Order: sequence, then structure tokens, then C-alpha cells
Amino acid sequence: MAATIERLPSTELRADVYRRGRNRVQKAVTYILLTAAALMFAFPLFWTVSSSLQTWKELRSFEPHLFPAIPQWGNYAMVFSSVPFARWMGNSFFITAITIPGVIITGSLTAYSFARFNYIGKEIWFVLMLGTMMIPTQVTLIPQYVLFFNLKLINTYVPLTIGSWLGGGAFMIFLLRQFIMSIPRDLDEAALMDGASPIRILWGVLLPLMKPALTTVAILQFLGDWNEFFGPFIYLNRVDLFTAAVGLRFFQNIPLETSDPRDHLLMAAAAIMTVPVITLFAAAQRYFIQGVVLSGLKI
Amino acid sequence: MATLANRLKLSDFSERLTTSRQRRENFYGYLFLTPWLLGFFGLFLGPGLFSLYLSFTKYDVLSAPEWIGLDNYVKMFSDDPLFYTSLGRTFYYAGVGVPLGVIGSMFLAILLNAKLRGLATYRTLFFMPSLVPIVASVVLWKWLLHADFGIINQWLVDIGWSDPPGWFGDRRWAIPSLIAMGLWQGLGGTRMIIFLAGLQGIPESLYEAASIDGATALHKLRHVTIPLLTPTIFFNMVLGVIGGLQVFTAAFVATEGGPGFATTFFSLHLYRHAFDYWNMGYAATLAWFFAFVIVSLTIWQLRLSRRWVFYYGS
Repeated sequence: MAATIERLPSTELRADVYRRGRNRVQKAVTYILLTAAALMFAFPLFWTVSSSLQTWKELRSFEPHLFPAIPQWGNYAMVFSSVPFARWMGNSFFITAITIPGVIITGSLTAYSFARFNYIGKEIWFVLMLGTMMIPTQVTLIPQYVLFFNLKLINTYVPLTIGSWLGGGAFMIFLLRQFIMSIPRDLDEAALMDGASPIRILWGVLLPLMKPALTTVAILQFLGDWNEFFGPFIYLNRVDLFTAAVGLRFFQNIPLETSDPRDHLLMAAAAIMTVPVITLFAAAQRYFIQGVVLSGLKI
Repeated sequence: MATLANRLKLSDFSERLTTSRQRRENFYGYLFLTPWLLGFFGLFLGPGLFSLYLSFTKYDVLSAPEWIGLDNYVKMFSDDPLFYTSLGRTFYYAGVGVPLGVIGSMFLAILLNAKLRGLATYRTLFFMPSLVPIVASVVLWKWLLHADFGIINQWLVDIGWSDPPGWFGDRRWAIPSLIAMGLWQGLGGTRMIIFLAGLQGIPESLYEAASIDGATALHKLRHVTIPLLTPTIFFNMVLGVIGGLQVFTAAFVATEGGPGFATTFFSLHLYRHAFDYWNMGYAATLAWFFAFVIVSLTIWQLRLSRRWVFYYGS
């Protein structure tokens, strides 16, 4: 007994020293791995910017230049003068200006219905809604195209925006529903006692509290539309209606006045197209994270 | 008797209350559900069923659909070599890309979860590529992996690989190139954030208990972290497979399905039939088959999950 008591402190001390040394090694290894990963993630971004500021002759020499000899800011101007890139970006913004209010209004209504009312058939609709996430878009794509074709809506933004005004998709609704469920019901009940109608409760009580979730939804909608390629590609075939994503692909292949390689210009266009997204991220970083936490984990 | 009458009346009243309340709930519930219901029927269920009908027809949009029974299905299995190759390539892409992506995101999240200084900066850096629009990312990667002037091949030559791959231009390397691009975009994105949130849900007490038992960092990783992350791994695998099998934009913009048919994934094959050859009927058949594959795989994963997913506390 005595022997154990005597021995304990020294053993613990040794273990502690050992552990501290091990921690230092662990820390160093973690930082090395993180830095290596960071370089791999960051290099392509750096290379986009650097390439966009070089001349095509610099880019196509057999010794790569990490930095341009003289930054060619004119490359950026050249993008806008070679193709209507400003117009395409404007079109993309225009689409998001239609879809964001749509998903906020109709998405909240749907989420409100799922979160706060107890009606016949609710569970079935809810399961069906989640089920729509599993079905590949291709299944509905062809008949939707046929539908919009027959309604003479090709080369309009209706096919690209109507969904956002009809609930905005399962993912957004689910996210908003989760958020409403986290708001105490007492608040609704109190407003109900005061004689508020359900629509008033949504407007006056819930929506103000839902600002973080609504911001997240707005950001996700913006990213989705900004990124979207396939829809605009099949529904728009007039160059002046293109979105930035479709326009950038178009810019890869169309003949220009000069037949010089255009890698530097493509890099500049890719950078231009990424700027709004990065800006948004810088301004609202926490909402990007919040969307994930709200939706992904509480199923 | 009186109490019984009272009770009857009361229950009658409460029933009326619940029914009128129920009526109210039904009314407002469905009122607010209306926009989504319109979308569900008009843009999802209606088109879905119409597409099922189209899969039994010959249809080119301009003339009326012509009923041909099971011909499209027979053709799909017996007379369309690209059906099998495109399906195989899709499985190759998703089968390699999704597990690599999920495991990679998990390890990045584990590194970021260490209680160290400056990790927020790393997290932001890792997240950045996922912000790049996919078309922009393709343009960038085609340049990075350019056969002659791409910086990656120039480095490979410098370190002694005299004949580096042609990447997007090479049949064997085109899919690996797409996977590499996908990993760059996806590893540090939302998937990693989901893992981070999952990691934060692991009770600290488990690590303390493991430390007392003398567990090393690797032991803790193997016996605490990873088992407790299995629900998150599973969630990301399911979403990853659904998304990975539908790969379209990257391949379409990078290679248009080439070289040869090396990156003609199933969705590209379907797209060609629908919008290049206007075989809408046959394309609908492919689409329905594809939905069947994706739904079956998801159900299969759900069933399989009972064997390996561990829910702490249940």
C-alpha cells in the first residue's frame, strides 16, 4: 500500500512530461499537414490570378513564370471588350434578384406550414418533399423542357426562376422548417391570443426572428444560381441572354478577331466570375457555416 | 346521470372544439403549402409521370409521341453500347471520387478540430475553392493540366517525368483529372464543415477517459473519433453518391464527354439523346433507369448502414 502511494506521483509526473513532449510533436505534425493542404488549395487560386495578368507569350513559354513580368491589367478590360461579359454577369444578377425573394417568400410559407400546422396528410407531403431530393434532375428535365417549349418560354428566364416561387426546393424548405421549429411556440401562442392571424404571426413574429436562416437561404440561392450551368444552357440560346456561367463556356470556344491563344483572358474571366462569390463570402462568412449546421445535422 | 350528461356535453364540446380547430389547421396548413404543392405537381410529379409515359414512346418534341411499348427498354439493354460504358464510367467516377472526397474532408476536419492557433485562417483557405463556380473551376483546371503548357506538367518534367500525362486530353487520365478537380473543389467545402460540426458533437469526456486509459492520439482517432463520426460519414456518403452519379457540368464543359467517349458519363449520354438527337422518348427511358439506380443505391446504403453506423447514446 505504502509503496504504491509513494510511487504514484513520480509515475504521473513522468507520464505528464512524456505527454507534453508528445503534444509538441503532434502540434508540429498538425501544422505541417495543414500548411501542405493549404498550399494545395491555394495554389490554383493564385495561379488563376497570376495567369490572368500575364501575356499569352509568357504563359506559353516553356519556363513557367510564377509572376507576370509586368502585370497586364489590360487583360481584364480585354475580356469585357471581346465578349459581353458585363451583360452576362448582369443577367446572372437579374436572375438572382427574381429567385431570392421567391425562395424567401414561398419557402417560408411552406416551412411555416410544415413546422406549425397539424393537418391531414402533412407527414406524407413532408416525406414526399424530402424524397424529391433523391430523384435525379434528369427525370423531370425532359418533360419540363417539353412543357416550357410548348408554352413558348424558351429564351426567357421563367424556366430558371419559377421553381424559386414555388417553394424553392426541398433543401431550402427543410432548412427553414428546422429553424422555425427551434423558435418557441409560446411566441406564436401569445400572438394568437392577441388575435393575430396566422399570416400576421408569420410576418410579425417569426420572420423577424428568422433573419439568420433567411440570410443563409438567400446566400445559398445566390450561389446556386450563380453556379448553375445546365438550366441556362438548355433554356437560353441567345447570346445576349446568357448567364456568366454559360457565357464563360461560350468564351472558351468562340472565334475572336485574333487567333492568339486566350488562356490569359479565360483566366481573367474565371477570376471576374468568382469575385462576387468571394465578396459575398467575405461579408457573410458565418451564414455559410450556419446553413450547413442548420440543415445537415438535425435530420 | 347528470355527470354523464355533463360528460357527454363536454366531450361533444371538446370534440367540436378540436374539429373546428382541426378545420382551421387544415385550412391554413394547406393554404401555406399551396405554392409548394403547385410546384410539386406541376414541376415534379406531373413531369415525372409524363416522362414515364414518354419512356414508352418515340418522341422528338415536334410531332406527337408514338407509343412503342418496351422498345426503348429493349434498346437500352441490348442495342446501346454507350449505355454500359457510360454507366461504368459514372460508377468509376463516383466510386473513386466520393469515398476519396468523404475521407479527405473528414481528415481535414480532424486536423482543423485540434485546439491550435490560426486554424480559422486555414479553414477559410480550405473553403475557398468550393466557392469557385464550377465552370470557372473547369477553365482553371484545363489550364493547370494543359498537356504542354500546364504548370503541373512543367513541374512533372522538372522532377524527371519526361512524358507526363495529357490529362483531360488523354483517355486514361481524363476521369482522374475530373476527380482531382472535384477533390480540390469539394474537400474543404460544406462537407468538411459538416464534419467539423460532427466533431464538435463528440463529448470531451470520451477523450478524457481515453487519455486516462493511456490512449495515444492514433488510438483516440481509431476508437473514439471515427466511430462517433460514422453517422456523419454515412450522411456525406449518401449525399455524395447521389451528387457524384449525376456528374454533368464538369465533364461537359471540360471535355464534352471526350476524348473518344472517355468522359461520357450517364448524364451526358442522356443529354445527347435528349438535346442533340431529340430522342426524347429514349432519353426519358435512360432517365427513369437512372432514377431507379440512384434510389436503389440510396436504399441499399441505408440498409447497409445498420452494420457500420454507430449512434452514440442509443
